[in-house]
Amino acid sequence: MTRLIGTVSLLALVAALGAGSALADTKDKKIALSNNYAGNSWRQAMLRSWDKVTKPAVTAGIVAAADPFTTAENQVTEQAAQIQNLVLQGYNAIVINSASPDALNGAVKEACDAGVTVVSFDGIVTEPCAWRIAVDFKQMGKDEITFLKEKFPSGGNVLEIRGLAGVFVDDEISKGIHEGVAENPQFKIVGSVHGDWDQAKAQAAVAGILPSLPDDIVAVVTQGGDGYGAAQAFKAAGRKMPTIIMGNRQDELAWWKEQKDANGYETYSASIAPGVSTLAFWVAQQILDGKEVPKDLVVPFLRVDQSGLEKALETTEKGGVANVEYSAEDAEKVVGAAAKK
Amino acid sequence: MNAAAFLRRLAGRPWLWAYVAAIAVWIVTILFTGGRGAGEVLTAAFTFATFSVIVGIGQMYVVTLGPGNVDLSIPATITLAGAVATKVMDTQDGMILAGLAVALACGVGVGIVNYALIWLLRIPPIIATLSSSFLIQSTAIAYGRGIRIKPPPMLADFTTAQVFGMPVLAICIIALAAVMELVLRRTLYGRWVTAIGQNIRAARLAGIDVGRTRFAAYVMSAVFAGLCGYLLSGFSGGSSLSMGEEYLLTSIALVVIGGSSVAGGNSNVPGLWGAALFLFLVVTMLNTYGFGAGTRYLATGLIIIAVIVAASARRPAR
Repeated sequence: MTRLIGTVSLLALVAALGAGSALADTKDKKIALSNNYAGNSWRQAMLRSWDKVTKPAVTAGIVAAADPFTTAENQVTEQAAQIQNLVLQGYNAIVINSASPDALNGAVKEACDAGVTVVSFDGIVTEPCAWRIAVDFKQMGKDEITFLKEKFPSGGNVLEIRGLAGVFVDDEISKGIHEGVAENPQFKIVGSVHGDWDQAKAQAAVAGILPSLPDDIVAVVTQGGDGYGAAQAFKAAGRKMPTIIMGNRQDELAWWKEQKDANGYETYSASIAPGVSTLAFWVAQQILDGKEVPKDLVVPFLRVDQSGLEKALETTEKGGVANVEYSAEDAEKVVGAAAKK
Repeated sequence: MNAAAFLRRLAGRPWLWAYVAAIAVWIVTILFTGGRGAGEVLTAAFTFATFSVIVGIGQMYVVTLGPGNVDLSIPATITLAGAVATKVMDTQDGMILAGLAVALACGVGVGIVNYALIWLLRIPPIIATLSSSFLIQSTAIAYGRGIRIKPPPMLADFTTAQVFGMPVLAICIIALAAVMELVLRRTLYGRWVTAIGQNIRAARLAGIDVGRTRFAAYVMSAVFAGLCGYLLSGFSGGSSLSMGEEYLLTSIALVVIGGSSVAGGNSNVPGLWGAALFLFLVVTMLNTYGFGAGTRYLATGLIIIAVIVAASARRPAR
């Protein structure tokens, strides 16, 4: 009996080795998504995009599995344990949206040493053995001032709403904004609050600081997820509505459309598309496929302008975020662009 | 003579310090602006303090029950009640009361689940409410998928209405707080809660139905969380999955800063309002002065410690 089991498992091993040696074939590879948080609309859209793209890929036999896992508490220790579990469960690649850029490095290194491909996106990890799909957040901040420069050539007072303090993304976007202001001294940041990328928190923070700010605020620079809250706070205080830069959330786009129809309100909206999880999926698949992929990839952010507002609003579901899903070809393009650099 | 006695009595109140701190912070804030916007700052403070006070009252009753009693499921309950209520109301003015009923029913349900975990499975409250909060949050995510439905216009108007710069909602919640203070001080139920917090064995021997009293406190806390979720979704233009997040630490901080004993058995409601105003005004002050996030967190922590020390130093030695 034991002998039989031994023979069977040996046969299975041989079969597995045989299949593994066939290059350009990922149909028996398993990819896992390790996600640190699911409690907002962006993350919900991210998980839905993952399902939408990976399920057909599994059905078509491109990969054997693409299972999403989300930690409950948004804790580094919890996600590190989760990554260790995924390694033990035999996943060939782990796609990570990380709770921290460096605190997971130990777990990521262990995974790499165990021969697992690690691809991080959005919340990236700095461990050199992992791949990174990042957005140029600093440029995103700088672009806001560039837009304002065209709209208000003579400048003016600006209120800044930042994200979650201590998070890399918040620092980068804010740095970009401040760099932009340094180059365009006609703009002045008269106040800066943390809205934690959340409408309700942004609303409370803006409502608190507004009374102490001058009356002539021309614009609000944001990081996404906070524009609608800022608008509510300005409205409640009975102030003149400034140009609020939006972050692709459906409620932000809907409010913008309302204002556009009522009084020709002009702004733009930009954010990283939640579908970037699917780009990470395809990149992981190509690495497993044996393709040469540079470690640092850059994904463009999704921008909605005055003319594209109606279309973006139509395709964004209620309560969601303007989104695009990526295909294997898109991933190849991004990889190709990075390889050229 | 009478005035001196009144002052002495006032100074003995543990909740006094939260108000002193709130007023001091407010004055420092308007010094920066040279008096401009003083009223607006207060309006904003009352607006946002209202929501913290609602959940603070429930949390305070639970904490009063004694060591180990705390409700960690408040944020998830806020989120669930907000999501379910906005969906039920579906922007119809006629459904406002139905929405309120549903939100409160969510609270009752959560409270029953919480106490069932604590009582039937003998799980410590801190673990029971934490684990139920995962269940509730997941239910909220599965139920609404984070869809933001606008509140009925009448509810939105009511939650943002003001008379002479004072939010109508804040006036309602001040009245609610007064009632809950009376319940705590003057009713049998309130005395039972306090007695259990001071010595659960003695309370049991004195013939108090400890189980039922605790059950009522947990249900009350969840119902207030449901009410908060309902009003908050009306106020901020719809519910969102993260709308309750900040109210976990806030609700506990209100109890402590307000001068209630975190070990239970000695609580007061007025302190909740002082603490809620204080917490909002501290953030506003530090924002106004333009400190960076690091300095701001540091200063917030130091100021809170100072207020708690001041409040507890005034308490008579045992």
